Amino acid sequence: MPNPVLLVQSLVELADNLVDDFDVVDLLSLLSERCVGALDVTAAGVMLAVPSGALEVIASSSEAMRTLEVFQVQSDEGPCLDAYRTGKQVVNLDLAATGTRWPRFSALAAAKGFHAAHSFPLRLRRRVIGALNLLRSDPGSLQEADIAAAQALADIATIAIIQHQISIDAQTLNTQLSAALNTRIVIEQAKGKIAQATDSDMEQAFRRLRSHARNHNLRLADLASRIADGAIGPSSLDRPTPE
Amino acid sequence: MPAERYLRILNLLAGTDGSNAPRLCAVAAEVTATSGAGVMLLADGRPQASLCTTNDVSALIEDIQYTLGEGPCVDAHRSGRVVSEPDLGASELPWVEFSRRAAGAGVQAVFGYPIRLGTVRLGALNLYRDRPGALSDDQHANALVVADLAARAILDSQANAPPGAIGIHVEEGFDLWAVVHQAAGMISVQLDVPIADALVRLRAHAFATDRLVAEVARDVIDRRFRLGTEK
Repeated sequence: MPNPVLLVQSLVELADNLVDDFDVVDLLSLLSERCVGALDVTAAGVMLAVPSGALEVIASSSEAMRTLEVFQVQSDEGPCLDAYRTGKQVVNLDLAATGTRWPRFSALAAAKGFHAAHSFPLRLRRRVIGALNLLRSDPGSLQEADIAAAQALADIATIAIIQHQISIDAQTLNTQLSAALNTRIVIEQAKGKIAQATDSDMEQAFRRLRSHARNHNLRLADLASRIADGAIGPSSLDRPTPE
Repeated sequence: MPAERYLRILNLLAGTDGSNAPRLCAVAAEVTATSGAGVMLLADGRPQASLCTTNDVSALIEDIQYTLGEGPCVDAHRSGRVVSEPDLGASELPWVEFSRRAAGAGVQAVFGYPIRLGTVRLGALNLYRDRPGALSDDQHANALVVADLAARAILDSQANAPPGAIGIHVEEGFDLWAVVHQAAGMISVQLDVPIADALVRLRAHAFATDRLVAEVARDVIDRRFRLGTEK
């Protein structure tokens, strides 16, 4: 049975990490540690898929767990990979009886003193981003309440990671948009200065700006910025070369 | 059901995959039963570009805010909250000058919805009515969905832009106010002041003469008007 006090504490702690600026590795390390405390398991670990689709070990509650997780990735077999690939829970697998399903993993896990393996997909609707691995050294099945609690912890971590990724992507795009808009503004300002200083229209002013930038191997945005802030006089530019 | 609401509004946008900016504003006005809608981008609390407007009045609502730096979109963007003024004729409005000029164009109610994704603030959706009246709960929920779709459309547009460039739909909206920056450059040379000061002078003149900053800017560029020579 899950320890109800520790479970609630873990849920609150995970939720408390869902602030703007959290670290995915910290969150998943916390998840692994809390699984061991709150649930009836011996070790826990989390793997996440990288953009290529391959799994990477992100967090482990113990060194033995870490070794087993790395082994799963390298040997391409084990409960974590199955949970990730199918998007379904893999629970109460008696390692003594899984010799044909995961021959190498089962042997290594048994050698490290584990009797049962459980894995939960990190899944939001159809999207699976990784898996939570739980191992038990005691024989016997994980109870329904432990299974439900493990999936709940995995779900919270999943939502946090997906939201975090969306937020980072949006932030990056917004920064690019702002920078691009600022560049455009500075170019318009420089055109205005050149137009006034050389008694020309905006089209002619822009040709002069572009021509000078090319002749002197300058980026248009950099040249415009130096004209706008007064570092380069607007009447000192080269005459435009005919096109 | 929120999912059904999304689907319904996405259906109205059908075939445009959110990239058809004018359609986005038209749908915004339609699903909120308002007289018009506009989507503007803001940064550091100031309007930067317009994504779409449905008619001259919604364009004016954006222009006034661009000129004055105040209004429902500016507030929605800064606070991250929905701004609702269902009766511009009522006293105690937060933006005296905005309200006066908007009311002069027949606007009687305005609403500002922040356009954001998580903590990333992109701009605001403005809705107006030519008669007083609050949005119903249903219309309000629709406006929230449109604002969310607008955020995705803006980011999608930027995701498809070449490095250093502005997404195509934003580019079109930026052109509206390009004249203001050109004029600021000219005024900066005319008065021998930094561009920031020139921009302040330009806005102040537009404010004092009850005109839009883009109109005054156009006159400066066409050499019909020169700051410092006004009576």
